[in-house]
Amino acid sequence: MATFLLRRFGQAVILLIVVSMIGFTILHLAPGGPLSQYAVDGSMTQADLDRLADQLGLNRPLPVQYGEWFLRMLQGDWGVSYRDRQPVLDIIFSHLGATLELMLTATVIAVVLGVWIGTLGAIRRYSFFDSLATVGAMVALSIPTFWFGLIVIYVFSVGLDWLPSGNRYTIGDGSFWNRVHHLVGPSIVLALVSTAVWSRYMRSSMLDVINQDYIRTARAKGVSERRILFRHAMRNALLPMITIAGVQLPVLLSGALVTETVFTWPGMGRLFLDSISYRDYPVVMGVLMFSAVIVLLGNLLADLLYSVADPRISRQS
Amino acid sequence: MTEAVSPAPNRKLARWPVAQRFADHRLALFGLATIIVLAFSCLVGPWLLPFSDTHIDMQSRFAAPFSGSHVFGTDMMGRDTLARLLMAGRISLSIGFSAMAVSMVIGVSVGLIAGFYGGAIGAVLMRFVDAMLCFPSIFLLLAISALVSPTVPAIIFLIAMTSWMEVARVVEAQTRSLRTREYTLAAHSYGASSSRLMFREILPNAIAPIVVAATLNVANAILAESYISFLGFGIQPPTPSWGNMLNSAQTYLTSAPWLAIIPGAAITLAVTSFNFIGDGMRDALDPRADH
Amino acid sequence: MTRNASYRSTRLESGAMIHSRRDVLGFGLGLSSLGLLAAAGPAFSQSDAMGTPPATPTGVVVVGLSQEPVSFHPLMPGVEVDEIIWTNIFSSLWVAQPDGSLLPDLAVEIPSVENGGISKDGLVWTVRLRDDVKWHDGTPFTAHDVKFSLELINADGFRSRTRVGHELLEEITVVSDNEVSWRMSAAFSPYLALLANTHMAPRHLLEGAEDPNQTPFDSAPIGTGPFKWGSRTSGDNITLIANETYHGDGPYLEKAVLKYVPDMTSLYAQFRTGQVDTILISGIPQNFYEEAKNLPDQDVFIAPSGNIELVMPNLEHPALSEKAVRQALYHAINKDVIIDAIYYGVPEATESFAPRESWAFNPNLPEHVYDPEKANALLDEAGWERDGSGMRSKDGVRLSFDISTTTGNQLREQVQQFLMQDWAAIGVELSINNLPAAVIWGDFYVQSQFDSLLVGTTFRTGLDPDPAARFASTAIPKKGGSGGNYMQWENDEADALLKEGQETFDVERRKEIYYRLQEIVREEMPILPIWQYAPVEGIKKGLMGFKPNINQRQNAWNMGHWFWGA
Repeated sequence: MATFLLRRFGQAVILLIVVSMIGFTILHLAPGGPLSQYAVDGSMTQADLDRLADQLGLNRPLPVQYGEWFLRMLQGDWGVSYRDRQPVLDIIFSHLGATLELMLTATVIAVVLGVWIGTLGAIRRYSFFDSLATVGAMVALSIPTFWFGLIVIYVFSVGLDWLPSGNRYTIGDGSFWNRVHHLVGPSIVLALVSTAVWSRYMRSSMLDVINQDYIRTARAKGVSERRILFRHAMRNALLPMITIAGVQLPVLLSGALVTETVFTWPGMGRLFLDSISYRDYPVVMGVLMFSAVIVLLGNLLADLLYSVADPRISRQS
Repeated sequence: MTEAVSPAPNRKLARWPVAQRFADHRLALFGLATIIVLAFSCLVGPWLLPFSDTHIDMQSRFAAPFSGSHVFGTDMMGRDTLARLLMAGRISLSIGFSAMAVSMVIGVSVGLIAGFYGGAIGAVLMRFVDAMLCFPSIFLLLAISALVSPTVPAIIFLIAMTSWMEVARVVEAQTRSLRTREYTLAAHSYGASSSRLMFREILPNAIAPIVVAATLNVANAILAESYISFLGFGIQPPTPSWGNMLNSAQTYLTSAPWLAIIPGAAITLAVTSFNFIGDGMRDALDPRADH
Repeated sequence: MTRNASYRSTRLESGAMIHSRRDVLGFGLGLSSLGLLAAAGPAFSQSDAMGTPPATPTGVVVVGLSQEPVSFHPLMPGVEVDEIIWTNIFSSLWVAQPDGSLLPDLAVEIPSVENGGISKDGLVWTVRLRDDVKWHDGTPFTAHDVKFSLELINADGFRSRTRVGHELLEEITVVSDNEVSWRMSAAFSPYLALLANTHMAPRHLLEGAEDPNQTPFDSAPIGTGPFKWGSRTSGDNITLIANETYHGDGPYLEKAVLKYVPDMTSLYAQFRTGQVDTILISGIPQNFYEEAKNLPDQDVFIAPSGNIELVMPNLEHPALSEKAVRQALYHAINKDVIIDAIYYGVPEATESFAPRESWAFNPNLPEHVYDPEKANALLDEAGWERDGSGMRSKDGVRLSFDISTTTGNQLREQVQQFLMQDWAAIGVELSINNLPAAVIWGDFYVQSQFDSLLVGTTFRTGLDPDPAARFASTAIPKKGGSGGNYMQWENDEADALLKEGQETFDVERRKEIYYRLQEIVREEMPILPIWQYAPVEGIKKGLMGFKPNINQRQNAWNMGHWFWGA
């Protein structure tokens, strides 16, 4: 177990270094810079801008800048935003809560709905419901998230006036129910894709389990269908689902970015978009690294959980 | 979303039982028919319509659908929505296909080389693939979009750069297993060159997963185009694409909702169809699907 | 905003100091309309007679912004929204009022040659300060703080926003706690206006900082303004709290919340439903103007702005270098349709680079007439001949060029497409080449790498109408100059006028100079002006004391005077 962990950890560190190099190169090769936002500002002259570029070290060669960034990173220093001069990690954490809230809610919705649809589909294979779920999942996977978001806003906010069209809470209110009310729209939108994925996995996993010998044995012994389903089949079918949670993380993060944009949700997605627009390199790098770490941790955790839950799985693979 | 059709779930879905495959094939046929109709309309339609997609007529802006001579109404500059939809379809579909082609070339090459040579080259290449996959796809798309000015070829490049990794993984795994198979070993023993082995022996045998991945990649690329255009980094006007039609429609969501609904429906239809086709193809092509 | 008032020595031009940053740049990518807001018109006037301010600070105002304030150190780089923080947390020596006058704030009076505050040669300035001002932490404000702030601006390694004017400071002397004086290396009258926008920072908190660029101010600034720092939820809102020991009038509100909503359409939706009390800076998208005007609980108005929306040609381009081409292009712009259809009739067309409210504005310029025939005639005459496809060329040079603006600015994109069609009709081939904000306003703009731009900007020096930095031949960065003449316009008469305008203190003479300059620019067309900005802003009914100010970069400049009426 220890060597397995160590090896995976080593791999992850190497990956992160490669990730940082890719990210840094892409960003710094991009035209434009963090000072462009001041360039047409009548209160700042070209001399001011040149001086600032110099003071910020923007004119140094790329490898030098990367080297400095990397060395700082090794010491746990994620750098400071060019925009609000706050430590990058602080900025990320201040946006993380909103994103996690959204992602967790969406995941809960997706798991509950997905498991239900998948299980029902597997039990009533080839039924009308099953076919509908199959087609529905495929369509759900094909709908652009932002478009679905716009439709939800149009129908439920503009048309029916049931849901707020954006934000995490109403300024001056911020009560629990107010927050929940604001959470409904974006989490449904974000949950759409995940629900489809979960239902497909659950269905195939359930089908695998149902055909196993022990289920047939149980059935032959006269155990009730309900008991078979919940005591035996469900439990075993859910086991492989653990990995899905890990695999779904980058998906969920991407979806969160788009959903946050549509619903003006103050999370990491908005932070990332703003930071890209302003060429706030330290923050963009920070968010990229942070999400890479989350993705890697998610995968690692899923592997670990899975191997703990099912000792038959080799840890060497 | 792109991840929706990642290989992992697909391999899983591929194990659907055979009876289900029939239904899937019907869907695949439906998908194929839809794409053919869609592509044909986009190709021919603009010539048949009495309206140009770029002609601005400020007098007749925001005409509602089905209310006059404009079947799908007009946009904020009085241009015919149908004409724009079809012209946009040309752009979006060709971006989908081109980006797929480029990503296939990159993905297959990387996968072949990594899988065939293995060792240090393979390790380096596949770690690079892993690293690229660590970025959530939209984050990567946006980061790279900062690099390029938003022309059609640049967008194709951009999408291809973010969608070749999974193909590379699939091909690498296939190549690695095929390399040790008897016929490859046999070919090697009578002195076939590496490139001959790769392209004559291994590639044809790995074609099934490649074709499936390619189809799904078209779907992904169309979605990706709409995402970057929606976020303002995509195709620039006056060139219409489904994504930028949606982008410019948001402001008018309350007053002219059809401007948002129509292109969004077109994207969903096209992407769903490609996903159906890909699904059907997998069932048809993958001999390991359970019987 | 009165155009004909007599000019005192302290009188400033009434005209927005700086363009609306977000509108011009499209930074902070909101979802939909990064659109420009436009229209020129009279300033918002509100009867202040209704209601009296409460004795103790009461109530909360929620200010809706589509860009997030992030830079709180008033001497470091920032944009308009940041100035909301600066003007309310901090104080300057004097404040520019809507009518163009300066009102003392930290200073007791405005220094002038007459009152002896400025020496006859303009080199020595003496400022007397109030003695009852306290920093938010209770420490008294003194002349040392002024000296410290001005020296910090010029300090090596400090990333100050701008050193314009300040770099002329030679010797700053603290005469007493309430009097400071300095010597300047050259007479520089605009310094008065620059100081109106220079906020004082506390010496006792910032002096001796290891890195002057990294201070606690970045997360919790302490000033002398009507509001104290409350809290910040990054990416969402900032809360300011009433400073009960404020030295001036007010504050009357207990709290002010600056709410960041990155999408202008969502922001408007929240304004409509009353979640935010006022929309400032980016304003209300024009397509909602008609609806917004009829909202029962809100007042919606066109805020004054000195920005001009224009097509900026690069005079280095082989076709655009010709005056006849530029005049023809101008004749072929259908301004009425652009303004009425695309901008919903909100802005007003203009012929000048100066805002209509400015004392230097020349109202007698020839009026633009949309006349494609005239345009065609001009081009024919100049030898630009049509080929088979209808496009013109001359000596192998095609009449073809790009127009660029910020990607994602939808209304400008519509204008570009409209221009494409209009100009194609006179045989001009226009292509759109839009770039992200961080790219286009970098070297592409500053080093004149564009063919032409659709841009909103101002032609002035701070609050002064002097446009030398934008039109002088010595202000072309690409040719080694310092300034913002990105068109690369070179005109001897203009150069002479600009020089004279800077050296003349007589307002009437300056007026003549700038009138003549506007005539030249209108004739030579180094810029093709379209309209003057007129952002649509709104406040909830009952909010008193709100005063749009064209001499500030944002209209929350006097939040300390706001209160809720009965």
